[in-house]
Amino acid sequence: MFNTRSMSKLLVVASKDQLDGIVRELYRHHVFHIEDFVETEEEGYEGVKIGMPLPQASAVSTELLRIRAIVSAFGVARSDVVPERKESVSALSARIDAELPQIEAEVSDLVDRRNHLESAIRECETKIAELEPFVPVQVDLSLLRGYEQFSVLAGHIPAKVELPVPAEMYFSGDVSGNLLIAIVPNERLNEAEQFLFEAGFQSMPVPGEEGLAKDRIAWYTQEISRLRAEMEEVDEQVNARKEKHQTFLVACDELLTAEAERAEAPLRFATTDTTFVAEGWVPSENVEALTAALRSVTNGTAYIAEQDFDPVNDNVPIEFDNPDFSKPTEMLMDVYSRPQYTELDPTLLIAIVFPIFFGFILGDVGYGLVLLAMSLGLRRIITGGAGEKLLKVLRNASVSSIIFGVLYSEFLGFALPWEPIGINRHLNIGAEAHGHGPDIVLMLVVSAWAGILHITLGRLIHMRNARRMYKPGKHRNKVVFGQAGWILVMWGILFALWSMFELPLMPSFTGLSPIVAGMNIVTLLGAVMLIVGIVAIGQENSLELLELPTVMSHTLSYARLAAVGISSVAIAMVVNYIAIGMMIEPAMQDLSLMGVIFIIAGIIVFLLGHTLNTALGLLGGGLHSIRLHYVEFFTKFYLGRGKKYDPFGMIRKFTED
Amino acid sequence: MAVETMSVEVAEASARGLVAIGAGLAVGMAGLATAIAQYGIGTAAVGATAENKDIFGLVLVLTVIPETIVIFGLVVALLLLF
Repeated sequence: MFNTRSMSKLLVVASKDQLDGIVRELYRHHVFHIEDFVETEEEGYEGVKIGMPLPQASAVSTELLRIRAIVSAFGVARSDVVPERKESVSALSARIDAELPQIEAEVSDLVDRRNHLESAIRECETKIAELEPFVPVQVDLSLLRGYEQFSVLAGHIPAKVELPVPAEMYFSGDVSGNLLIAIVPNERLNEAEQFLFEAGFQSMPVPGEEGLAKDRIAWYTQEISRLRAEMEEVDEQVNARKEKHQTFLVACDELLTAEAERAEAPLRFATTDTTFVAEGWVPSENVEALTAALRSVTNGTAYIAEQDFDPVNDNVPIEFDNPDFSKPTEMLMDVYSRPQYTELDPTLLIAIVFPIFFGFILGDVGYGLVLLAMSLGLRRIITGGAGEKLLKVLRNASVSSIIFGVLYSEFLGFALPWEPIGINRHLNIGAEAHGHGPDIVLMLVVSAWAGILHITLGRLIHMRNARRMYKPGKHRNKVVFGQAGWILVMWGILFALWSMFELPLMPSFTGLSPIVAGMNIVTLLGAVMLIVGIVAIGQENSLELLELPTVMSHTLSYARLAAVGISSVAIAMVVNYIAIGMMIEPAMQDLSLMGVIFIIAGIIVFLLGHTLNTALGLLGGGLHSIRLHYVEFFTKFYLGRGKKYDPFGMIRKFTED
Repeated sequence: MAVETMSVEVAEASARGLVAIGAGLAVGMAGLATAIAQYGIGTAAVGATAENKDIFGLVLVLTVIPETIVIFGLVVALLLLF
């Protein structure tokens, strides 16, 4: 529950001719996290090298490339395909040999046709672009080329000019950039070109077309639409083929990916001339089954042994081991980083505390229901992976939001028919405001309590981790006393405060009679705790003393629980006041055309405002709650940087042995 | 020069107004400070995440650290107002 799954280190040594069988078995069981072998020059490792891929590797990779090319040509996504039944590997292999060449030919034919059509369309579009400037010219385009004695200059020019050479000129300002066509005798061409260049002339080729530019454009446009229609036909054929073959293709992909991964596994093993060594991690509960399977597949000729390991310094892969309730929260842990093998896995704590913080911030029955509906509805669309886990976390959070909403008596910023239980967050907004306003101080004190307890818990976990991770001795004692010091400082300050001020929801010792210099016994106790605490922190690391102000700032940081929540209530109430109090209600009293418009506008304001506030509430409630965990809670104890457990093999959806 | 006098009600009203202005300044300026701090960290964080996705959690933590400033502002404002 608070520990990650217990792991064992397994060593498998066998002769090379057993390699294929053992790799197959390891792959099938999907529990062996391979520890990659790294070649070293160290003594004892002479002649030990990284293994070579199995002989079929290159053939399988080639096949896989072919399949992936088809898959990407069809645009098939593995996650979109719903497996109807699992196909047996042998039947599938036979089908690959029989059917794949034909599918490949079909695909390449369709892809070729599509590419061909695409380039034809592009060509037509280029032609149209070339023709467009010549639209104003009411002359057959073939008359603009093919002269022996004359040259035709055509192009854009900023303004109309008169050529200093005898020339036939045409100018139009109707196209963007203007059009100038000049027909000049060949012997004066250089002179004309020089002049035009200085006038900012940009030459264009005369299109090699017959007839008027306008007519040619019309013809090409028609051609494009014909080609587009043809392309749609090809796309339909592609889709039809995709529908027909996609299950087969993803199954092939799965089969060959598995083959390729198996064939390349020896690259991660250590080998000598005749033997190989596979080292890896297996969840302790799976060791027996895997060992037995490996023994049976090798007829007992493989050497399989569990090895001792150092749980702290060996980089043990981490697999969470949580009850169903806190499984989705693992996703929030993965965003930060997995715990180390020996440290406490705080997933369950987050699974409990995160929804409480979220509900405390966004305590509103209305928003809670919206988010609950959203999290349940989106589960049909987002399945599997981190997305699904996130939705489950959101579901828990929104349930908590509804519960807090009932306590706060809030529904989209309106009051429910009962008085708030415990804490009142209703602000005095609008003309009918009544009541004493929100219990800000009460909320701040509750938040401070949340911070005090949360941080103390974090420090206690650090002490527990230190006892687990360090050998008994000076270092461990220093760490434990250091953490105790932090707790003493925080509670010492609290005792001192309690003896001087009366605070709601906190014990008060102001009534006790002073003993020395106006300080009563609790003040003195607080002062002693503070000093002892500072000494304890200092003996661990004197630089840590610089961090002392965080005792205050981290605790006060929990005030966001109250503050963000209140701002969300304020937005909701303001939206209600604008929409109903200022727009709908006055319009209802005197119904006219203008009134109806106001009512509609009011409804729009209401919907928009609450949509925005739901989004803000989700962001505010979610991010601030998780931030309190990541920044204020985790920095007290959490090391993280655990390596993810990634067993060799895959979860097969489409194939079976 | 005439000495301006104000009635008790006016004085109370203007005191409430000053409290509101103070609260606004507390939130607004703390918010600006947070924004300035997050601007630098956020830019670097996005760049770093683009290089290496694994450090997203860490840079998220670094980015939200200055948020505490505006929360302090908000707390001061709420205490002023209520």
